[in-house]
Amino acid sequence: MNGALAANLADLAETLRRSTVKVREGRHGIGSGVIWDSNGLIVTNSHVVQNRTVSVETSDGRQFPAKVKARNPQRDLAALEVKATDLPQTTKGHSERLRVGELVFALGNPMGLTGAVATGVIHALGPVEGLEHQTWIQADVRLAPGNSGGPLADARGRVIGVNSMIARGLGLAVPVDSIERFLRGEKEQPELGVTIEPVAVPASGRNILGLLVAEVVPGSAAQRAGLRRGDVLVSSGRRFFEQPLDLLTAIRNSPPPSRRLELELLRGGKQQSVEVTLES
Amino acid sequence: MAILQELSNDLAAAVERAGRSVVAVNGRPRTPSSGVHWRKGVVVTTDHTLRQDEDITITTTVGTNVPAKVAGRDPGTDLAVLRADGLDSPDSEFANAASLKLGHIVLAVGRGLSASLGAISSISGEWRTWRGGAIDHFIRPDVSIYTGFSGGALIDAHGRIVGINTSGLSRGGGVTVPATTVNRVVDELLQRGRVARGYLGVGMQPVRFAAALAGTSGFGGGLIVLSAEAGGPADKGGVIIGDVLVSFDGKALSDIDDLQASLGGDRIGKTSELKLVRGGQVLAVNVTIGERP
Repeated sequence: MNGALAANLADLAETLRRSTVKVREGRHGIGSGVIWDSNGLIVTNSHVVQNRTVSVETSDGRQFPAKVKARNPQRDLAALEVKATDLPQTTKGHSERLRVGELVFALGNPMGLTGAVATGVIHALGPVEGLEHQTWIQADVRLAPGNSGGPLADARGRVIGVNSMIARGLGLAVPVDSIERFLRGEKEQPELGVTIEPVAVPASGRNILGLLVAEVVPGSAAQRAGLRRGDVLVSSGRRFFEQPLDLLTAIRNSPPPSRRLELELLRGGKQQSVEVTLES
Repeated sequence: MAILQELSNDLAAAVERAGRSVVAVNGRPRTPSSGVHWRKGVVVTTDHTLRQDEDITITTTVGTNVPAKVAGRDPGTDLAVLRADGLDSPDSEFANAASLKLGHIVLAVGRGLSASLGAISSISGEWRTWRGGAIDHFIRPDVSIYTGFSGGALIDAHGRIVGINTSGLSRGGGVTVPATTVNRVVDELLQRGRVARGYLGVGMQPVRFAAALAGTSGFGGGLIVLSAEAGGPADKGGVIIGDVLVSFDGKALSDIDDLQASLGGDRIGKTSELKLVRGGQVLAVNVTIGERP
């Protein structure tokens, strides 16, 4: 069994290493990047590629000039293009079904090392206090600056995020779903326009999670749909919220283009159903 | 399924399971600390992170907020016990620290469902903290104790609670107070509101004897008395400043820890024989142990 674990880990590291590149900008330091598809699409951090002239080195030593095709500095993402057709692309996972405590692996080029692997677990998921409100994969894994832009993978070697920064000893990675949206040129995410506060709601002998609407942003989708301060959201599409993050997931998963969202709520002690159109 | 994936699933399941009894303790300004719902309505947290005695609330991982009252604190083991009647029954299982081995995979679980991974990096028998508390096992996990993690649980790979993590008992990393010690402290704090400790009422410093004195007294050194509280147990027994305490009930004293170890709560009110060196002579005095104020 010990041998199997070690072999499994070595295979995973090797596969990831092949799909991780070095990203160089002039004579500046080295960052990392992820081969997103074999035809030359590479994802890295926006802060790794401040200029337009960038070069990429693959794990087999090939050098490519790269063009920055798109960037989103808020989400710290950049898409690079190199002229190649045979790059070893990564397998992608999903960031929605991630669990706190599951194993993660980071590949990168920290401190002048090439293709170094770091092991840890998911520490938490969601926004980080003191940073702009967006979802992060917070990983209990030891990273260093050269890890920026490199992949964070799950136990099957599927990329679940791109390592972006270190905060209070934690590695913060942009979730893969955010990256896919960025690559499709979509807005970061639709917004409901409410501030919520988790509360316990007694329901048939037990407590369920309710999300108390503390504020409704004027002109927002929530206001258009008639949501009011004091409403307690309990489920979306008849699926009860188990954690506050579930509302965010429901918003993200609302089907484009109109992104309709079914919300069930308690108002004045009575259950109601409201349909919200997030993109009008 | 690949073995790595199986391990990963097990770890996530362990965190989810233990996470149901890990809570946030809002008992200091700004950052909340962690706590463990130990028994129904009883939350254990660390003493050093609890900065207030009133207006404390507990937040569960599903976001429920309930008020809590301090049942007692034990700085010796860095534990504090809170009563929060608004909590449902906890659903936790405990691991026996005696069966833990060096290298076992463990996770620290903190408030708001957060976790860090590591292994048991040191484990040994009973020890005494710098604050005088007796702890059944010395457990040092190689896990990051992030801000707010003190008071949270150390769990094994099955999700069983090993004990309470604290960064307040040692420099350079956290230690875990094992479940057996936590149970003992919880019992005492719920019953009496405090953990009783024996008391002599002296200030001391360890000293070594010169070879000649070591030869005549039969002791290599002891604890020199720097202060003796007037009317305190040692003073009443005839101990004076400058005496060097060399044995307690027949056990040699070379360090303050040796004396601390003999002053458990069970000694209170009982009489012990103290041997001391005064003017080059070994004397014996009887002291009735008091209770630490």
